[in-house]
Amino acid sequence: MSFLDSLQAGLSIVSSFEVFLALFAGICIGVVGGAIPGLSATMAVALTLPFTFSMQPITGILLLLGVYKGGIFGGSIPAILIKTPGTPASSATILDGHPMAERGEAGRALGMALWASCTADLVSNLALILFAGWLASFALSFGPPEFFALILFSLTIIAGVSGESLLRGALSALLGLLLATVGLDLVYGTNRFTFGNPNMMGGLNFIAVLIGLFAIPEIIAMVWNPKAHLGNARELGHSKVRFADYRRSFKSIIRGSFIGVFLGSIPGIGAAPSAFLSYSEARRKSPHKDNFGKGEIEGVAASEAGNNGVAGATLIPLLALGVPGDVITAIIIGAFMIHGLQPGPMMFVLNVDIIYGLFIGLIISSAFLFIVGSVAIKGFRFVSDVPKPLLMPAVLVLCIFGVFAVNNNIFDVGVMFVMGWVGFLMMRYQIPAAPFLIAFILGPLLEDNFRQSMLMSGSDPAILLRGPITWFFWTVTVITVFAIARNIRRAGSA
Amino acid sequence: MSLRVLQLRLGLGACLVALLLIFVAIPTWVSSPSNVSNIVLSPTFWPYTLAGLTGLAGLGLVLSSRVISPERSTGDEEQIDGNPWIRLAILAVIMLATMLLMPHVGMVWTAMPVFALLALMLKTTHRVTALVCAVLIPLVLYAFFAHVAGVAIPQGDFVRLP
Repeated sequence: MSFLDSLQAGLSIVSSFEVFLALFAGICIGVVGGAIPGLSATMAVALTLPFTFSMQPITGILLLLGVYKGGIFGGSIPAILIKTPGTPASSATILDGHPMAERGEAGRALGMALWASCTADLVSNLALILFAGWLASFALSFGPPEFFALILFSLTIIAGVSGESLLRGALSALLGLLLATVGLDLVYGTNRFTFGNPNMMGGLNFIAVLIGLFAIPEIIAMVWNPKAHLGNARELGHSKVRFADYRRSFKSIIRGSFIGVFLGSIPGIGAAPSAFLSYSEARRKSPHKDNFGKGEIEGVAASEAGNNGVAGATLIPLLALGVPGDVITAIIIGAFMIHGLQPGPMMFVLNVDIIYGLFIGLIISSAFLFIVGSVAIKGFRFVSDVPKPLLMPAVLVLCIFGVFAVNNNIFDVGVMFVMGWVGFLMMRYQIPAAPFLIAFILGPLLEDNFRQSMLMSGSDPAILLRGPITWFFWTVTVITVFAIARNIRRAGSA
Repeated sequence: MSLRVLQLRLGLGACLVALLLIFVAIPTWVSSPSNVSNIVLSPTFWPYTLAGLTGLAGLGLVLSSRVISPERSTGDEEQIDGNPWIRLAILAVIMLATMLLMPHVGMVWTAMPVFALLALMLKTTHRVTALVCAVLIPLVLYAFFAHVAGVAIPQGDFVRLP
């Protein structure tokens, strides 16, 4: 199929009012979800997921992508106004955004955050369109040993960069892999940790695990300390962002966008490190470096460009390799699975219409984000006024209905509750949840590819090093492990 | 809590989990056919490997805790009103009751008191709004999931919704 044919196929499935409405609604939900401290883009995507079950695949997936993009921008609103990032990715925005708000320039800071976010989002989407297809065609030549090495590398880096301790990240990933072994064995069909319960034979429901892990712990944490997440919102002020501000920060925005694209396309790194790297690069190169940290508008632009630059790029490994780039894309993979789609190189052959439909939808989402963001900046006070003691019970009830709706099974609600307590314990013990979830998703794939490799080679482990692609992934895995060991030594000497 | 204690507890916990898996859980709850020719393809191989790696990660955490300065804090000190453990216990009871009541009372009728109780536990100052939301939100969700998404929401044995 030629590029034009693919584009036409994509256009044919997105050119409906329903799809545009879903995308627009998704961005609105995301901005509101990201703007409410205590909710987050991740939770907003997880809570929206059950509503997509009855939709067409493209409509549901674009709704979730809208929530994702809206959520990342929405997180900057409380970061600037109440010094509390709505999402972890917005932490860098506080550094200059809140001092600007204290000076009465919150409107200017939020305006710049929006302009930088939309620009970076567009750059990221274009990178996705350019690179995903190329990477997918390359990945078509991957066999089980290559996929095994790739997934192992992804898990190593996810465990390595999530949270503050690399060992705790590794423990989290291992626990996720262990949980993924529950169910019938892939080759022999024998029971593994099913305890004779037929509900567990198909493995634990992915949606129940993810909602349990990301939404319920927030509720439990609020029960633990009901006065958390409180802050005083600053006024917007009268100053607005000007085109001169944008022009002055343009280099930092583009640099931040490319940093976001690069880090986003590596599975597991996510938006927060990208935002901080973009911010530190902007400070290093800026003629106004002394103003950074005191309310420099270029700092806001750089951090927002860094975190939004990731949004499209995280879909590159998801669509091209079937490996989620971060937690949110791990949730979005659930939407693909629910609709019987398997992201990965074969999707570019079998479902090219959906791929191009997504590309078109993502480009449009940048424009929608600009419109919704402009309104959200003015309306934030209404959002921040939603009382948390009313919000959290609503989230719990929504979780119960949403998780039940996946399989019409009350057992899944129980799994969600149990995972909620597991997630809360992980939160208390500072074990990052992202490696757990991504390992839980990739676990069966990792084991399946390992066993296929062993079957292919007659159990000769040398097949796992059979060519340059596996060598490459093993090398980067070893480098990552080496970095982990070095980090432990440094932590010890600190 | 100091970072050292946290890391040590986690490490010991991980080692304990690994030992339990290797000596109790995997032999008891992972079945493997007797005719598996190659250990690598056995259904027990992967769980044993992961359990071993969990033990190693635990050992790593224990060892790394020894070199962390005892003064380093986890940075999560917070002021909490009342006894949080009692609130957590109540929440656990609410969750358990939800699971037990849902098949008999119905999802909507169970969700209403769950909402109201949780709002009260979170010390809401908007009690009337909480009660209104407790009734309306489950009904709206029922309307969506039952009539738009076509999900068979549990109705219970007493009052059935249209």
